[in-house]
Amino acid sequence: MNFRTFAAFVGPSVLMMLLFIAFPLISVFKQSFYITQPIYETVEVETCTPGFLTQTCVTEDVSQPKLDEHGEIITQTQYVGLQSYRNVLEPERTWRAISEGSLNVLSTINFWKALRFTLTFTLITLPLVVGCGLGIAVLINNAARTIRGPVIFVSLLPFIITPVIGVLSINWLFRGDGILTAMLEWWLNRDIALFAQAWTIEVLMMLYRVWHVAPFAAIVFYAGLQTVNQDSLESAVIDGATRWQRMKYIVIPHLMPLIIFVSMIHLMDSYRVFEEIVGFSSQGYVISLQWLTYDFLVPDQAGNRSVSRASASAMLTMIGIVILLILPLRRTWRDHKGGH
Amino acid sequence: MKLKTILMAGAMSLATSTAWAACSFENEVPLKSLSAGFEAWKAVTDAMAECGNFSASLDQEFREKQPEAFAADPALYQIGGVSNATLVPLLNAGTIRPLDDLVEKHGQNLLPNQLIKVDGKTMAVAMMVNAQHLMYRDDVLAELGIEEPKTYDDVLAAAAKIKEAGVMDYPIGGTFKTGWNLGQEFVNMYMGEGGAFFGGGNMPAINNDQGVKALETLKAMTEYMDPEYLVSDSTYVQQQFQQGKIAMANLWASRAAAMNDEAESQVVGKVTMAAAPMGSAVPATTIWWDGIVLASNMSDEEADAAFRVALEGMDADTVGANNDVAVWLSTAYTPGDLAAGAAASAEGGAKAYPASGPMGIMHTALGNGLADYLTGAKDAPTTLADIEADYITAAKEAGLISN
Amino acid sequence: MSSRALRQPFSLRLTSNIFLVLWCLVAAFPIFWITVMSFKSPVDAFESNALNVIFGPATLATGNGLSLLDIILGVAMIWATASLVTKRLPSMVRSYSKPGQEWFGWVIGVLAALVGFLLVFLVILPAILNVLNPIFGPLGRDVLGLTTEHYKTVWIDRGFSNNFKNSLIVTVGVVTVSLTVGTLAGYGLARSGSALAFWILIVALVFRALPHSVLVAGYLPVFINSTEWLRPILGENAPTLYGKPFAVIAVLVAINQPFTIWMLRSFFQNIPAELDEAARVDGCNHFQAFRRVIMPVMWPGVITTGLFSFLLAYNDFLVTSLLLDAQNQTMVPAIVGMFNRETTTTDQVVAVAAAVSITAPLIFLVLIFQRQIVSGLTAGAVKG
Repeated sequence: MNFRTFAAFVGPSVLMMLLFIAFPLISVFKQSFYITQPIYETVEVETCTPGFLTQTCVTEDVSQPKLDEHGEIITQTQYVGLQSYRNVLEPERTWRAISEGSLNVLSTINFWKALRFTLTFTLITLPLVVGCGLGIAVLINNAARTIRGPVIFVSLLPFIITPVIGVLSINWLFRGDGILTAMLEWWLNRDIALFAQAWTIEVLMMLYRVWHVAPFAAIVFYAGLQTVNQDSLESAVIDGATRWQRMKYIVIPHLMPLIIFVSMIHLMDSYRVFEEIVGFSSQGYVISLQWLTYDFLVPDQAGNRSVSRASASAMLTMIGIVILLILPLRRTWRDHKGGH
Repeated sequence: MKLKTILMAGAMSLATSTAWAACSFENEVPLKSLSAGFEAWKAVTDAMAECGNFSASLDQEFREKQPEAFAADPALYQIGGVSNATLVPLLNAGTIRPLDDLVEKHGQNLLPNQLIKVDGKTMAVAMMVNAQHLMYRDDVLAELGIEEPKTYDDVLAAAAKIKEAGVMDYPIGGTFKTGWNLGQEFVNMYMGEGGAFFGGGNMPAINNDQGVKALETLKAMTEYMDPEYLVSDSTYVQQQFQQGKIAMANLWASRAAAMNDEAESQVVGKVTMAAAPMGSAVPATTIWWDGIVLASNMSDEEADAAFRVALEGMDADTVGANNDVAVWLSTAYTPGDLAAGAAASAEGGAKAYPASGPMGIMHTALGNGLADYLTGAKDAPTTLADIEADYITAAKEAGLISN
Repeated sequence: MSSRALRQPFSLRLTSNIFLVLWCLVAAFPIFWITVMSFKSPVDAFESNALNVIFGPATLATGNGLSLLDIILGVAMIWATASLVTKRLPSMVRSYSKPGQEWFGWVIGVLAALVGFLLVFLVILPAILNVLNPIFGPLGRDVLGLTTEHYKTVWIDRGFSNNFKNSLIVTVGVVTVSLTVGTLAGYGLARSGSALAFWILIVALVFRALPHSVLVAGYLPVFINSTEWLRPILGENAPTLYGKPFAVIAVLVAINQPFTIWMLRSFFQNIPAELDEAARVDGCNHFQAFRRVIMPVMWPGVITTGLFSFLLAYNDFLVTSLLLDAQNQTMVPAIVGMFNRETTTTDQVVAVAAAVSITAPLIFLVLIFQRQIVSGLTAGAVKG
């Protein structure tokens, strides 16, 4: 395929990605080295607000941004180098915490707290999702042909449900005296508050994520199981291989590309864990990297937002994901070269 | 759902789009509004829609959209719903217009109290006030012979008694959800202690005795609260009240009506509204208002129409029909028992929420930083020092503190 | 596993099936539960005793409920419809529609069945039961509290149908554009061994991994002020992109491109390159080869990929909540709005009803396309 044909095929897709992903990304990259801020002046202002019967008026010094002749806020942009990265990483405090050997202090610094949770979350759910997915796929494949359809349908439900709503429904089931918590309490005969400490919330989040993603893994693996070579399975039986050996030496290697595919998708998705934090409102206990970026970006009630810090933390998040992806990508490179 | 009701609803929606029943004039200028989405705004914007050519966005992202949408030329929304805090960015950017001439022309029915004046110019018209105040279960306290709690020591003592008597495991409810809610709780306590948030040059000044006292009171309360307090927002506290699980909470006045809602509440008529508990200086609460602003980037004719429609939205009819939804600022409002708590707090000298640019950052820093103290990860001075450091970083980035 | 040599002992099959049942319970329970909640009064819905939620005493006390007779007839009716649709509908569609246009027959058939079912279930059946219930004494007494008022609030009072329409526009737009653009790109990437193709794929993968909140916040000011910066190009008609469904469609398509092109590329790689090479020997250029040879065999993979695009667009919250205003708001942000505003418990149950309403189309979709998803995946839409 010559370059022009290739460009014609790929062009529209690449253009959209450039426009809506690459350009914003470049501006984020740039913003992480600059700070844009209004120029403030201090003025004395009298403000009157309603009381119940009369108004209360106060006169105080207020910082107000200066406006230019068009009535727009005058801003100045200034190169600050790695200052924003430093503000996110807080190297001094981190260093102090490490040299004192107190992990507790380290875990109160937002970035490290978020990184710790994001990595734990990703690395614990990964084997669970692959394992559960494989298990469910094998179970479905074992079931009688007539019930496979309905079973696949039910299995897919957790995957298709809108994430926001999935999180909320788990929330209702467990929060306060939600019925599942109430059942647990009745069963264990003790008071349980699942949202009152970090580890239970983390476990809940991970369970939710596995519940949500395992069906996807399962359906992919199930599709893979349909193409396992029956002849080699049968000859393995004749050679006296046990079920477990057949699984290990024939089925798993056959599914390996799919396992890598699912793992990669899951790595990327769980690394940007976000809905769980918001849905379980767990900010007090655990936060994730994407949540941290989001929190910098959301304006407070007075309209301030920390764009530079958000950009820096977004860039740091991206470096992390690239590191995580390097290993699986080396294989893709070999495939790509070998495929042609 | 019956077919008939569906048809009826269809017919109704047709009818409302052609007739302007309750509006005194027919609006011909296309208008849009952007505001928060709580009950009072729903009532007010519904009433505005009766004038025709009006569409309302009750948007949970309004905080993020409003400054941008009002800065656009022409503004994407003509009418904005703000509170004392969300007024700040619009005021700073100069994207809202002074309303004095319009008030003079159309605002005969407005109370002087409703006009929000900044440097002598009317920049917004308030429609309601809101404040957190004490709500308590009359029956539970009376049975144990407890007087109405006046201070937080009283509240804690009452909670101890209720717990001891075995009436409830967790007698206190609190809107302690990490983030804005928790920050607001600290602001209440700290203001009650008479503290000031800032020194000169927007530098933070919360790491002091009042700050520590406020933190300690918050922590003492959590002893009597459901251990999941860090995820409980006002809706959740309201629900706990309705289900009879808690006996006392410092909850928003706009939530009072829900206690007597027959369809949801199991404690109808049993909840009394009282002033917010006293801190060392004033009642530990802050007074908020909600109201409307008009964008600068539109023609004077549009502004005229927008102002008339907005007034129509908060006129006597609306207030009369939704009397208990909020503590309205209107001649038509008859304050009932439900408003007693807010009124008593104000009489006790409660301060208005000190909204400003720096305060926005401070509130966020507080909301994110306090959880570490309540979970025991840090002690009080460290917590406050870390919050101050966090504030300084953000304020420097925003340009509010010079480097 | 048809072969005799692979037959499993009974005990293994039993354990396997027990686990499968357990999994199905876990998978379906939360969805089942919010469905139950959505039919109850607020007091019942948030009750901590599970039995009270199911039987709904408070809902029953307000006079809304079902008798045993209602339940028996209702279940019978659902069962009858289901068997009618699965047994009779396919043959009817086949006999009435022209060959090649069967999909149209299916659309008509399914619509007719749906309308007929709703009419009988919601109008005729209740009318009959109103007469029957008093006659049957204890059988006709209400035992199960159940109310549809929350659905009425959602769909009629809150105008949720408008949100539904907007969701439909956005979703259909994203799926169509995303597949059109993505199929071309996927094919191009699969048939090119150049280093450029590889790097496009790698960069796409990194884009796939990006946290969306980073990108989305950057769009808002640009979209709101678009009239100003578009004016030099488009003149006075320059649109405000904020609040326009097509702008949101473009953003979602872009965000979804990386995954789409990866999926479709692997799928096209599994179609032997000899196929289109043979066509090119016959004198077709790449595009003609694509149209004549590849298009007829690509549908399983495209449908599977399309389903993922559908899920992304339908379920999106971050982009739609920020870039659309109330008049063209889609369903997910509308529901989240119901929770975030100063809610009452009733509002929450109404939101639960809305949540169930938005899940229903997804369930239908999976019912219809389930077989294609599996066959599409089997045909190799995913090969890592």
